[in-house]
Amino acid sequence: MRWRAVCILGSVLALAFSAEAMRAQATSLPSASVLKQMTIEQLMDIAVTSVSKRPEKLSAVASAIQVITGEDIRRSGATSLPEALRLASNLEVAQIDSRQWAISARGFNNVFADKLLVLVDGRTVYTPLYAGVYWDVQDTVLEDIDRIEVISGPGATQWGANAVNGVINVTTKSAKDTQGALVTAGGGGELRTSAVAQYGGQIAPGTYYRVYAKYFDRGDSVRPNGQRSNDAWRMGQVGFRVDSTSTPDTALTLQGDGYDSSMGQVGPDNIRASGLNVLGRWTRSLAPNSDAKLQFYYDRTHRRIPGSFTQDLNTWDLDFQHRRPMGSAQDFVWGLGYRFVEDDVLNTPANAFLPARVGHQWFSAFAQDEVELSRDRLHLTFGTKVEHNDYTGFEAEPSARLAWTPDTKQTIWTAVSRAVRTPARIDRDLYSPAAPPFRIAGGEKVVAEKLVAYELGYRLQPTASLNFSLATFINNYDDLRSLEPLTPPLAFPVESSSGLRGRSTGAELAAEWRATPAWRLRWGWTELRVHSEPQSGNNDRGTRDSIARDPNHQLSLRSLLALSATIDCDVDLRYVSAIGSTIVPGYAEADLRIGWRPTGGWELSLLGQNLLHAHHPEFNSPGSRREIQRGFYGKATWRF
Amino acid sequence: MAVLTSMTKGGRSGAPGPYTARLLLLALLALALPGARAQPAPTPTPTPEYQLKAAFLYKLAQFVEWPAAAFTDPKAPFVLGVLGNDPFGAYLDDLVKGEKIGERALVVRRFQRAEEAAACHILFISPSETDSLERDFAHLRRHSVLTVGDVDMFTRLGGMVRFAMEGGKIRLKINPEAAKFCDLIISSKILTPDTIVAPGRE
Repeated sequence: MRWRAVCILGSVLALAFSAEAMRAQATSLPSASVLKQMTIEQLMDIAVTSVSKRPEKLSAVASAIQVITGEDIRRSGATSLPEALRLASNLEVAQIDSRQWAISARGFNNVFADKLLVLVDGRTVYTPLYAGVYWDVQDTVLEDIDRIEVISGPGATQWGANAVNGVINVTTKSAKDTQGALVTAGGGGELRTSAVAQYGGQIAPGTYYRVYAKYFDRGDSVRPNGQRSNDAWRMGQVGFRVDSTSTPDTALTLQGDGYDSSMGQVGPDNIRASGLNVLGRWTRSLAPNSDAKLQFYYDRTHRRIPGSFTQDLNTWDLDFQHRRPMGSAQDFVWGLGYRFVEDDVLNTPANAFLPARVGHQWFSAFAQDEVELSRDRLHLTFGTKVEHNDYTGFEAEPSARLAWTPDTKQTIWTAVSRAVRTPARIDRDLYSPAAPPFRIAGGEKVVAEKLVAYELGYRLQPTASLNFSLATFINNYDDLRSLEPLTPPLAFPVESSSGLRGRSTGAELAAEWRATPAWRLRWGWTELRVHSEPQSGNNDRGTRDSIARDPNHQLSLRSLLALSATIDCDVDLRYVSAIGSTIVPGYAEADLRIGWRPTGGWELSLLGQNLLHAHHPEFNSPGSRREIQRGFYGKATWRF
Repeated sequence: MAVLTSMTKGGRSGAPGPYTARLLLLALLALALPGARAQPAPTPTPTPEYQLKAAFLYKLAQFVEWPAAAFTDPKAPFVLGVLGNDPFGAYLDDLVKGEKIGERALVVRRFQRAEEAAACHILFISPSETDSLERDFAHLRRHSVLTVGDVDMFTRLGGMVRFAMEGGKIRLKINPEAAKFCDLIISSKILTPDTIVAPGRE
């Protein structure tokens, strides 16, 4: 019956385009007569993200969102995407070794963290093998990043399965905004070599392109005794992006990347990972506040882990979205999506994904309506996504969000939402050894993990230079993945099941103060408690200790100081409390960056990372632990 | 693609192979694009980005002082120009309709060549001019024209004010040296460490 679903999807798409007759009355961007009365400061506070998105004021959004801008990344000196994510205080970011990171929001952090959805320019970058992200191959030219939106809390109504605990949305700049040449070169102790060459130009009036090449070489992390572990790695990447706005209301984007990397591991041969992706996006503004977006991408990844397995993954994804106002007080968005994934694993005798080769399809539809209940004061957003996956069939992910803006300085918001994490291959298909008798015997009974989340938040901007935001939540989880003995009391064999439930509570507080035009301070404080326990009839042993590895407290303080028009001095302090279940001690660390822009498009910067300790651990239990070393790094950037 | 036969669940019920599904999708994509583009465009409203930029253009006049020589006589109008492909359309005209800069009437004019634009007071240089920016600036160098643009290298090549997008918001990047050279005085209200770019810097 699937082909029929595809045809229906097709007809709906066609209808959506042809039947467009918009009489838009509502305008989210103030009208011309209002705009011209605003002060320049007020104008600077209005965000217009792209053709597809409607302008919205961040301060009035009914979810826990933090935005990292390209300028923030430059000032932080971050040398990789995970390092840049440390700038969002509502994330848990722990470096495991030279190339691996555990990143999550609101708990259940792990090297296989599986409750966070990550998108790069609209492309989902998680692997269906374990529903997590291989952070070591998610890279781009950091200078090209326009912004990273980090939403803690469920975003499943719009983004779908996996947007359980949070969504990270990386957006790169339009090729129009990266014209000219960019060359960077750097080197240091940990990041031994790094180089970028990029050029942006114009193909035709209104059509711009950029092409880039990037290479880096990173050194080893160390064992707790200070001995080098064999995990140095290097990666090369090339890519392009073309943006065309031939008419003011239509935007076309075509972009792609390809990479190849070699990563050290304990064992004879290096891990090899390579991949490529191509994405096309067509956006059309149909009327004020109404637009349609059609996006397609293909993504291919290859990873060979000698002694473990080799995986080839191909993903095809098609996504359509249409937004239109309904009457003067409603803003309606709906969308359809289709994804096909072909995953081919070359197994080893020790463990196996069975069957080795699978093809899976996902169908999804979502609708969301934002109603202005009281003019400029009270907004209700409600909607649902319905998805079909091959493992568990249909799943619904509804949510309702209410934002109350009593005056222009504050917003109170609350939300109730449901999200699911649909099974990944690791849940259903993992066997060990590769032939019977199994010790780990797959997981036929694994169903989707379900979350019902309750959120309450408050934002306050008492003056133009000061703002606070607080987000609190209670998350109730059911059917979390467990491992259950098949023949108790024997510990083995086990099979994967869905026998745990959990609850997490927490609060995320963030503040920013522009003390002077040249000095900004940012502060973040996140409290988190995670608890999980067996559901009735479950005999799980020990999974509950390994699925959540979260610190109870995280604190951060950043100072961004412009010493003069050409010299910046930026300091980053952070404290992460102990992770109880794996006895990772709490730690404090500091980064320092000095940047100097002499003239002629040059920027020189010096960066010290993890300055407080020679090396410190951030994750994993003592036996397998790697520690992160202090690092110094110098970089030159030249634009011409 | 024959290797794709071992779909875990989808293989039953006579569903076509994923290959077929993919072909259908590609066909759809091919159909949808031209079909949609063939729509007659209604009076094009500029994107929200350019609506906002239009408001910024108008606001900029409040923060800049022009020398008396920039006006042919005390009653000469204040000219806001757009050079190259106009991204604002009628929106800009509506926005400034009936407005005055001081005692001067505000008029909008469009130009295709920089030589013609020397009598402007504020000139927005469209992204379509990217390849001829240096030539354009050379033509304008002897005139008190506040050049405004939004492409990346605008201020680096000698432009005065750039609308930079940061996190979806518009930020001003100002090259005060270039303005000074043309006898324009930019108010310190908008000249801050965040907005000033040194000559040659981005």
